[in-house]
Amino acid sequence: MTGATAMHPAEGHPIIKVSGLRVEFQTDDGMVAGVKDVSFEIQPGETLCVVGESGSGKSVTSLSILRLIEFGGGRIAGGSLEFARGSGEVIDLAKAEPDVMQSIRGNEIGMIFQEPMTSLNPVFTIERQLTDGLKRHRGLTGEDARGRALELLKEVRIPEPERRLTQYPHELSGGMRQRIVIAMAMACRPRLLIADEPTTALDVTIQAEILGLIDRLKRENGMAVLFITHDMAVVAQMADRVVVMYRGDVVEEGPVRDIFEQPREAYTKALLAAVPKLGEMRDKPAPEPMRILGDETLRSAAPPPTIGTRREPLLTVKNLTTRFPVKGGLMRRTVANVHAVEDVSFQLAKGETLSLVGESGCGKSTCGRSILRLVEADSGEIQLDGWNVRGLSRLDLRHARRDMQMVFQDPFASLNPYRRLLDQVAEPLVNFGLASGSELHDRVAHLFDRVELPRSFLRRFPHELSGGQRQRVAIARALAPNPKLIVADESVSALDVSVQAQVLNLLMELQADLGLSFLFISHDMAVVERVSHNVAVMYLGRIVEIGPRAAVFENPRHAYTRSLLDAVPIADPARRRPHDDRSFRPLSSPIFPVGAPVEPSSYDEVAPGHFVLRPLAAA
Amino acid sequence: MTYLLNRLFSIVLTLWLISVITFAVTSILPGDVAMMILGTQSNPTALAGLREQLGLNDPLVAQYGRWIGGMLTGNFGHSLVFKEPIADLMAQKMKASALIVVMSMAIALICAVPLGVWAAVHRKKWQDTVSSSAALFGISLPDFFWGIVLILLFARTLGWFPSSGFTDPSVDFLGAIRHAFLPSLALGLGLMAHLTRVTRSTMTGILNQEFIRVARAKGLSEKSVVWSYGLRNAVGPIMTVAGLQVGYLFGSIIVVETLFNYTGMGWITYQALLNRDVPLIQTSVFFIAAVVMLTNFVVDLLYLLVDPRIRMQ
Amino acid sequence: MKRFLTPQGVIGFTLIVIIVAIGIFAPLIIPPDMATKMKMTMRLKPPSMGYPFGTDQLGRDIFFRVLLGAHTSLGIAGAAVAISVLIGLPLGIISGYARGALDNVLMRFVDTLLSFPALLLALTISAMLGPSIPNTIIAIGIAFTPFLARIIRGEALRVSAMPYVEAARAAGTNDAAMIWRHILPNVMPLVIVQATISLAFAILAEAGLSFLGLGTQPPNSSWGLMIQASRDYLDVAPWTALAPGAAVALTVLALNMFGDVLRDVLDPRAQ
Repeated sequence: MTGATAMHPAEGHPIIKVSGLRVEFQTDDGMVAGVKDVSFEIQPGETLCVVGESGSGKSVTSLSILRLIEFGGGRIAGGSLEFARGSGEVIDLAKAEPDVMQSIRGNEIGMIFQEPMTSLNPVFTIERQLTDGLKRHRGLTGEDARGRALELLKEVRIPEPERRLTQYPHELSGGMRQRIVIAMAMACRPRLLIADEPTTALDVTIQAEILGLIDRLKRENGMAVLFITHDMAVVAQMADRVVVMYRGDVVEEGPVRDIFEQPREAYTKALLAAVPKLGEMRDKPAPEPMRILGDETLRSAAPPPTIGTRREPLLTVKNLTTRFPVKGGLMRRTVANVHAVEDVSFQLAKGETLSLVGESGCGKSTCGRSILRLVEADSGEIQLDGWNVRGLSRLDLRHARRDMQMVFQDPFASLNPYRRLLDQVAEPLVNFGLASGSELHDRVAHLFDRVELPRSFLRRFPHELSGGQRQRVAIARALAPNPKLIVADESVSALDVSVQAQVLNLLMELQADLGLSFLFISHDMAVVERVSHNVAVMYLGRIVEIGPRAAVFENPRHAYTRSLLDAVPIADPARRRPHDDRSFRPLSSPIFPVGAPVEPSSYDEVAPGHFVLRPLAAA
Repeated sequence: MTYLLNRLFSIVLTLWLISVITFAVTSILPGDVAMMILGTQSNPTALAGLREQLGLNDPLVAQYGRWIGGMLTGNFGHSLVFKEPIADLMAQKMKASALIVVMSMAIALICAVPLGVWAAVHRKKWQDTVSSSAALFGISLPDFFWGIVLILLFARTLGWFPSSGFTDPSVDFLGAIRHAFLPSLALGLGLMAHLTRVTRSTMTGILNQEFIRVARAKGLSEKSVVWSYGLRNAVGPIMTVAGLQVGYLFGSIIVVETLFNYTGMGWITYQALLNRDVPLIQTSVFFIAAVVMLTNFVVDLLYLLVDPRIRMQ
Repeated sequence: MKRFLTPQGVIGFTLIVIIVAIGIFAPLIIPPDMATKMKMTMRLKPPSMGYPFGTDQLGRDIFFRVLLGAHTSLGIAGAAVAISVLIGLPLGIISGYARGALDNVLMRFVDTLLSFPALLLALTISAMLGPSIPNTIIAIGIAFTPFLARIIRGEALRVSAMPYVEAARAAGTNDAAMIWRHILPNVMPLVIVQATISLAFAILAEAGLSFLGLGTQPPNSSWGLMIQASRDYLDVAPWTALAPGAAVALTVLALNMFGDVLRDVLDPRAQ
C-alpha cells in the first residue's frame, strides 16, 4: 500500500485542511498567541506558499501541523487540522494521540528545515539517519534499508551516493546536507511535504538547485507541498497558491498570479512593492530608490546622482591579496593558505556605489575589511583620497579611518549592549577629538535626525530598538566623522524586506546629499542591481567580472556571472525559470599549499570599463 | 599521528611545568623547613646542621636539579616522617586513592546521567524542580559534612560499613570495597549533584537543537529521540566535565581520607603537610597534579572516539 | 529585573542578605563572652531553650559561636575571591584581548596550574606560609585564580570577536579605550556570576582548610574549625558538627541559588 497508488484520496478531499488554527505560548509575560486564526487547505500535487516577515507566525503554523510546536512550549488552543491519511480516513491532527502522530510524522508528512548545518545529528552517519525512519515506519532492516537509502540519495542526485552513506554530516557541504535532509523527508513517500525556509541559509546557485529538486519531487510523487518562506521571489517561483501572513493572522490568500498581479490588501501591496525584481532596472541610467508604498513623492524628490562626466576616483585598489594561514603540525607551522582575496583591483569614484557580489566564502567581506585594515592584507596597494592606506603607521591609520567607515551585517551584534546609543555614535567623534561637551551632544543629535531616529533614543540602549532602528544607529555612527567612503557589508541582509527598503533608501539619500562613496558588499543580486553604479563579481577570491551595472547585468560575459544571474529567483510568477536540480559546480576551494604557484589576474576589456577575468591555467 | 606527537610533546612540557610550580610553591615561599621540623625553640647548631643535611643552603636551581634528577632516575628520596622510600609510599597510596576515585566517579555517573536527562526532558516541570533542587542542595554541602553524616548513619547507627581504615584490595578485595565504600559515597554525592547539573544543562541545550526536531519530524519515538539522538551528543561534554572533576576529587580526598582514616594519597599528603615533610610534599603534590593532567589527556583522547567532528582534524 | 524575581532568586538573595548582615553585625552586637564563656558543667549539652544549638566540648554556646563564625568564614571567602578576581580579571582580559604569544604563554601556565586541585594548592600554600587568617586568604585566593583567569580569558576572546569591537576599531578606538569601554563592560556579567559561584566554593574551601587545621586557628573561630573540634564527640554530641555544617551548607546553598539565577539572567552564553 505504499507508493503512488495510495497517493490519490477520494475526489475533492484536500490533503490537509487547516481551520481556525490558534497556537499559544506560555511566556514569562503570560500567554502569547503565536498564531491567532489561520485557515487554508492544500490539494494533492499543489504547492501552497505561506509567506510573511519575521514574527508573522508562518513557522509556528508549519510546526503545528506536525504537532512539533508542543516541544517548544506551544499549545494548539483552537481550530482543527484535518489530514487525509493514505488509508482514506480523515483525522484531526490537533486532537491525535502522541503515538498516532509518531506514525504520521516522517511517514505521511515529511518536513525540511531551514538550517542544513544543524539539521543533521553530528555524531551519526548519513546511513543511520536516512534509515532510521525507514526502519520505524516501513520495518526495513539491514541491506533493504541500506538499499532504499541509496535509492533516496540517487533520487536527490547526490554525487557518489555509496560513499556518502558512511560519511558524517560535517564532511558534506551545506547544499549536500540539505539534499540529505530532503532525502530523509522523502524516505517514506509522504503525502504532504512541509518545507520551512529550506533555502534561506543557502547560496543562490544552490538555492536554485534545491528549489528545482523540491519541484521535481513534487511532480514525480504527486504530493502536496507546504512551503514556508519570507522571500517573495521564491514564492513567485514555487507557489500554486499563496497565503500571506502578518502577526499571526492570514492577510490574504489566492492563486499566485492573483496575489502578485492584483493584490487586494494594503499589506500585500506594500510587501510586494518593497521587493526588488531582477531585470527591472534595464535601460535605466542610474540607481533608483526602492519603492515604498505611500511614500513615493517623498523619495523620488531626491534621486541619487547619475554617473557624472567628470569621475574623480576616491578609492583605488591594486593587486590586493589577503591570505589566512592554516596552521598544523608539531610546531604549528603554516601548512596551507586560504586565498581569501587574490589579486583584486578596482576603482571607486566619488559619490558612486561599487557593489562586490558573490556567494559565501568568495572573499567579498575580507576584501572590504582589508581596505579598512581591519584585517591586514599580504600585498597590494590601497589609495584612498591621497592616503596610502597600507603604508600608514598605527597613528596615521587612526586618522585615515575618519575618511572610511563601515556598516556591518548584524544589527544586533554591531552595537555594544552595555552602552547608550549617544555614547556609541559619539565614539568616533571623541576618538578623533572632533567635538566635546554640548557640541558633541548636538552633533550626535543631528546625526540621529539625519538617519530619521527620534532624539529620545539618544539615552536608550540597543536592546530597546528594532533591527532596522539599530542599523540606523550603526549608520549614524559611521557617518559621525564625515567619512568619504562607507563600506556596507551585507548591511541590509538581516532585515525584513520592508525595513530593508527603508534603510537602502536612507543610504541612497545620504549618498546624494553628502556625496558619499559606497563599497556595497552583498549576495543579493536584485538589491545590487537597484543601488549600484558599478558591479564587481567575486568568485574564489578573485574578481571575475567588473563593469558598469548595466553591462554586467544585461551583458554578463563570465560563465560564473551568468550562472549566478540565472539562479536568482525573480519576484514575478510570469517569469518562472525552470531550474535543473543537478549540481554541476566543480568542487573548488580557495585553500592552497604554501608556495603554490599563483597566477596573476588578467582581464579582457570587452566593452569600455567592462572587464572579464581570463581563464586561469590552473583552474 | 602528528596529533599524538603533538600531544606527547605537550604532556612532557606540562609535566616539566608542574614540577617547576610544585618546587616553587614548596621552596620559595617563606618558612624555614629546618625550624618546622625541629621546632622554634631548637638550638641553632642543630638547625644549621639539618639545613646542611637537607641541602637547603644550596642555590634553588641546584636543589631543583637534584630533585628532578632524582625523579628521572627513579630515586624519589626518603620521607622524613615515614622513614621509607617515597617511591614505595607513592605506589601504595596511589592505588588506595585510585580505588575511591574510581568508585565515587562510578557512583556519581550512574545516578547523575539519568537524573540529569530526566530533568532536562521535563524542563520547568515538577520533575525538573525536584531533581534540580536536590542537585543544588548536593553541591552546597561540603564533602566532609557528607562524610560525617555517613559515619553517623551507616557506621555508628546501622553498623553496615566500617567508619575508618583501609584494606589492600589485592589482599582482601571485599574488605577493600567495604572500607572504600563510605569515603567513595562521601565524595560521590557532591560529584553526583554537580554532574546532574551538567547533564541537565547539556541535554537542555541539545534538546533545543534543530536535529532533535528533525528526529521528531521523522516520527522517531521520544525514547530514541532523547536516549539515542540526544544523549549520544551529550556523552562528550559530560565526559569532559567528569574528567575535570577528577582534579576536584583529588583535592577532596585530602579531607575525606583524613576523616575516614583511609590511608591514600590524600591522607599521606596531609600528614606530609602537617609535619613539613618537604620531600614527601613535593613528590605527592607533583604526582597528584600529574595524574590529574594525564586523566584529562586520556579524556581528550576518548573524545576523539565519541565525536567524529574532532576525529577529522 | 523581572527575571531575577524567581522564587529561587528571591530566596537566595534574601538568605545572602541575612547571612551577610549576621557576618557584619554579630560581632558588634553579641558580647564576645557569650561565645567564649566556658562552663565545664555545661559540656556537650543537646539543644534546649537556653542553648538552641546546644553546647560544645568546652561548654560554650554553639548558637552564638555559629553566628560569630559567619564573620570569619564570610570575611575569608570574600577577601580570597577579591584577590582571585583582582589577579584573574586583568590576566584573563589581557590574554583574551591581545592573543598571540603572550596569550599562549599565560594560558599554558594557567592550564598547568589547573592540574593542581584547588584545595591541594590552597592547603600547600597555607601550610608553607604557616596557617593564619591572612595566609588562608592568600592561599585560597591564589588557588582560585587560574580558574577565573581561564574563564575570563574565554569570555574576553568571545567579546573581542564581536562586531561592535570591530566597529569601534573602525571608529578609531585605541586599545585602552577598547578594553575600558567595550571589553570590560561585556565581560563583567560573567565575572559577577563566576565571583558569586566562587564565593560558594571559597566558603567550602575555608571550611575544608580549617577542618584540617591548616586554615583559621584558635582562638579565632570559624565554621570549619568548629566542625574539626566536633570530630571527637560525634557519637555523643552530633549537634556540635551539624550546627556549623548546616551554617556552611545554608550559606553555600544561598550563594548557589542566587548564582544560578544570576547566570540565567546575565551570562550571555546561557541564553
